[in-house]
Amino acid sequence: MERLSRRSFVKIAGAATGAAAIAAAPPVARAAIGEEGAVKTDPTTGVPEEPLVAYVRDARRGEVTVTSGTAEHTYRDRALVKKLLRAAGRKGE
Amino acid sequence: MSSHREAPGISQDPVADNADVYAFVSPDDPTTVTILTNFVPLQGPAGGPNFFEFGDDVLYSIFIDNDGDALPDITYQFQFNTQIRNEETFLYNTGPITSLDSPNWNKRQFYSVSKIRDRGHNGCKKQHHEQDGKGKVLGKNLACPPCNIGPRSTPNYDDLAAAAVHHLPSGETVFAGQRNDGFFVDLGSVFDLAALRPFQNLHLIPLPAAPGVDPLKDLNIHTIAIKVPIRMLTRDGSVPSDPMSAVSVLGIWSAASRRKVQVRDDNGEQPKGSGPWVQVSRLGNPLFNEVIVHIGDKDRWNAVDPIDDAGEFESYVNQPELARLLPVLYPGVFPNLAAYTKDRADLHAILLTGIPAGVVPGFQNFTGPNPADMLRLNVAVPPTVDKPNPIGLVAGDPAGFPNGRRVFDDVVAIELNAVAGLTIPLVDPSYTKDAAAGILTDGTGPGPDRYQDTFPYLGTPHDGFHTPAS
Repeated sequence: MERLSRRSFVKIAGAATGAAAIAAAPPVARAAIGEEGAVKTDPTTGVPEEPLVAYVRDARRGEVTVTSGTAEHTYRDRALVKKLLRAAGRKGE
Repeated sequence: MSSHREAPGISQDPVADNADVYAFVSPDDPTTVTILTNFVPLQGPAGGPNFFEFGDDVLYSIFIDNDGDALPDITYQFQFNTQIRNEETFLYNTGPITSLDSPNWNKRQFYSVSKIRDRGHNGCKKQHHEQDGKGKVLGKNLACPPCNIGPRSTPNYDDLAAAAVHHLPSGETVFAGQRNDGFFVDLGSVFDLAALRPFQNLHLIPLPAAPGVDPLKDLNIHTIAIKVPIRMLTRDGSVPSDPMSAVSVLGIWSAASRRKVQVRDDNGEQPKGSGPWVQVSRLGNPLFNEVIVHIGDKDRWNAVDPIDDAGEFESYVNQPELARLLPVLYPGVFPNLAAYTKDRADLHAILLTGIPAGVVPGFQNFTGPNPADMLRLNVAVPPTVDKPNPIGLVAGDPAGFPNGRRVFDDVVAIELNAVAGLTIPLVDPSYTKDAAAGILTDGTGPGPDRYQDTFPYLGTPHDGFHTPAS
């Protein structure tokens, strides 16, 4: 299983779309979401033509699936899952 | 329409709902095979102002297996895009549409055709899910015809449809657009507890016998049609003349796929797709998913490939529910069928492997032991030009279903009689068929004006001005 670090994930997302859409299951959350300084904000653009989407596939196993173009990869990254869950206002599952 | 609304999921998604597949040696051009695959079923012709069209967000595929392993060797893919000329009107057209580039036609659809030849890597072919929409582009910006609206908007519809037949430099001929739905069935009766109106006096809940009623005779469909030289489809590039040769048999099916993720914004724009194509509909033999597969498995069947039919789906063929229902719904009519408990080797051959040599003299369409739902076309069997029989192979016309499928083949009657036991003696001489097996019909048939003699063979779609008549 490939591993995707938070830093490389953000890098891929930025490179692929310029405005990455991160979709965890429910609507994205409340306030600041972590130690790296992510803050809640309003979208500055519409959905990009080819959105990059990441969703938590299995929180317990720390699995995140990323789709971009016609590609799809699933990574195990517990820290990223934790951050996404926090952004979604959900505790660890 | 043999697979219209056949599964819970796809019944909610008509533009991706694969309703019928036809494959036959072209009667007017017998060095070619024509494959038709239909979508957007049950179209009322008067469905404006946004008339029916293909999905811009759907990948439509036609698969051909030419070496009997139930995996595609050749795939044709079709992708559509819709263009609006004038956003300042609510109208589909602002005047008569007299040509495919008419400025009066406001909402036009175009498509591209791609071809994937998948001989695989290291001898291992990819399943189509891995093909991810990338192939050699054979044609792009190919115009669809408009829908048939009425005498003011589409006064010369046949000319528009003819202009939308595109001859590709690579040798194929293609068409994509609205047609008359060629499928016929007494839909209202057969799904009212499998009633056949001509025999409903014998039904468990009897009513007086009556002629069949075909609700599809006034409805349209959207057809993707492709005519391909046979030499471009066979494994060795030949045009086979020996029906007993394995080279002469093609396995054919089609499918529709959607992107794995759709992201919808709140600004009214169309949803954006992300991720690989995921199959949501497939079709080979008519009525397979509709009346063979149980409802809890229908969506899954649509999502997987013919190569995955072995096992559970195969068991539905071996012990079809309909064969158990017929003796119950028609008491006393099917005593021999009721007593037959063996696996249905006849249906297994017809639907899943093709008919091996030795069953029907001079004919076979066997693709090998891999059980897979595909239409199987023996291209060495010439088309029957003089009075083709809609009952096809079982009536002695080897150019008809289940040797491929022609637009006028009565697949309901053929499959109904087969399930009722007509074809069991072909593989089990100890069985005596019931008297009713072989004469069952829903009372419908191919009507006039439904077909045409030339590509794409399905007839002019009904226009919304004249249909319904009153």
